[in-house]
Amino acid sequence: MIIYIIITFSLYLLISQSFSLIFYPTKLFHLSHAILITCGAYFVFLFNNIYSMPNYLSVILAIIFTITIGIVFEVFIYKKMRLKKIPSLSYFIASLGLYIIFQNLISIYFGDDSKIINSSDISVGHEILGSYITSIQIAIVVISVSLFILTNIFLHFTTLGKSIRAVASNSELCVIYGVNTNKILLLATAIGSTFACIAGILFALDTKMTPTFGFNLLLYGVVAMIIGGVGSTRGLVLGSLLVASVQQLSAYYIDTKWIDAVTYIILIIFLVWKPLGFSGKKLKKVEV
Amino acid sequence: MEYFLHLLIFICFYAILAQSLNLTVGKSGLISLAHAGFYGIGAYTTAILSIKLGFQFWINLPVAMILCGLIAVIVSLIALRTVNDYFIICTLGIQVIVFSIMNNWVELTKGPLGIPGIPSINIFGLLIDEKIPFLILTFLIVVLIWFVLKNIYNSGFGKILVALSEDEIYTQSIGKNVYMVKIISFTISAIFASIPGVLYAHYVTYINPTSFTVNESIFILSIVIIGGLGNISGSFFASAFMVLLPEALRFVGMPDSIAANMRQIIYGLILVVVMMTGRNGIKELFAKK
Repeated sequence: MIIYIIITFSLYLLISQSFSLIFYPTKLFHLSHAILITCGAYFVFLFNNIYSMPNYLSVILAIIFTITIGIVFEVFIYKKMRLKKIPSLSYFIASLGLYIIFQNLISIYFGDDSKIINSSDISVGHEILGSYITSIQIAIVVISVSLFILTNIFLHFTTLGKSIRAVASNSELCVIYGVNTNKILLLATAIGSTFACIAGILFALDTKMTPTFGFNLLLYGVVAMIIGGVGSTRGLVLGSLLVASVQQLSAYYIDTKWIDAVTYIILIIFLVWKPLGFSGKKLKKVEV
Repeated sequence: MEYFLHLLIFICFYAILAQSLNLTVGKSGLISLAHAGFYGIGAYTTAILSIKLGFQFWINLPVAMILCGLIAVIVSLIALRTVNDYFIICTLGIQVIVFSIMNNWVELTKGPLGIPGIPSINIFGLLIDEKIPFLILTFLIVVLIWFVLKNIYNSGFGKILVALSEDEIYTQSIGKNVYMVKIISFTISAIFASIPGVLYAHYVTYINPTSFTVNESIFILSIVIIGGLGNISGSFFASAFMVLLPEALRFVGMPDSIAANMRQIIYGLILVVVMMTGRNGIKELFAKK
């Protein structure tokens, strides 16, 4: 029970981290992030199962291709929109449009049925705390948590990481101080896309994938981010933990089919009871 | 001919949905992804009332409208505590919850199996089970809603909505209750969304949850955006375009399996292009500036 909560928690932590890495500096609520999650998994499927390349090579290629897609979105669509000073809600709709396009391209090419990535090591599973878990589930926990720690070290102790946080807090001031914001945004996009890709691959290896799985996963990550309070690292951890435990508990005690509803009910309860999330940072339309 | 009438009826349904969503999206600048939820609540209320209690269309319609209105007031009280993107995620959550209830509460909604055998509309002994009278009835309702919305837009309330979408802080500073205005516009839009739900249930006589998914909400939102924000007649033409698009794809010889995805790709593409160029709707996209 607890071990499954930890696995789900790690996955959501990785996703909300990857989403917020792009969301904080660029301020755009890119639902197209879901496509990066899905693409990662499907690229591995393509290289591994169809072109039968070795595992490590297909994962590396998948990451490279996903970063390329993420950067293409940023450079050719969002950056152009930013230059035209288009109101922020338009980004949301544009990213929704991008998501629809790519999700359907994947549906046409791979079909809508669920796919499983061939993994060469079919192991019996390890017994931890009274429940059997696979090597992939251990990998999810280890990779997610270590990536989360590394990212935070990077964001707080290196110049590039600090610049990302600086752009996130005030991009105009950064331009004045000579930070190349476009480069920083590209860097943030690349890191975020890599994490999204890894999260997608791990999820697909653990269970199975359909062309729409990225969207649901992303929304859980986003709910975790909102519950945790936008703009706080501690919030991401607490939010992911809460969403993961609530989902696993409701799957155990009620029924798995109510997971979606329960997740959003938690979001709504939070918006009523504590609209600012754990961190208490205010959501405001305009600063006066 | 029968099929053509069927398509016309669906154009009318989507015209009502898009027109009502236009009140929230186009005028007050709140993007809602819960519209298919309200559409579904209308349809399910009708189905349950007419099968379990034997109610007629003229009772179902006001009951569904009142129910949707109540739910919308509660929902908007909660969802409007947030702004912008968070508001959209909140409405998306509400959509998912409504869909889960339709899909999983088997005792009430029969779950994924759906509810068959909903009777046709019977207004004081006048049975409307043919396509042509039904189309006339639906079209009359479209015109009625168009008339009501036009009056709302031109009223003082409509002017506050326009002010709100242009500058929220300023509107608040001249003493308008922004929160209240948003709740009212969201509620009106939800009430109107339940009307096509009621008509849909009586028309197809069988409903299941797959007609009211998140994708349906996105589809309605795309109609509004393609038609142009705040443009009522634009919504009508856009719904005609979107409903006829798969037929056009079939006409050029695309297999059915790809046509469904292709339609989504086309409207996704339109959304991206319209948003990137910053024009309001597809009409302005082709007009020279």
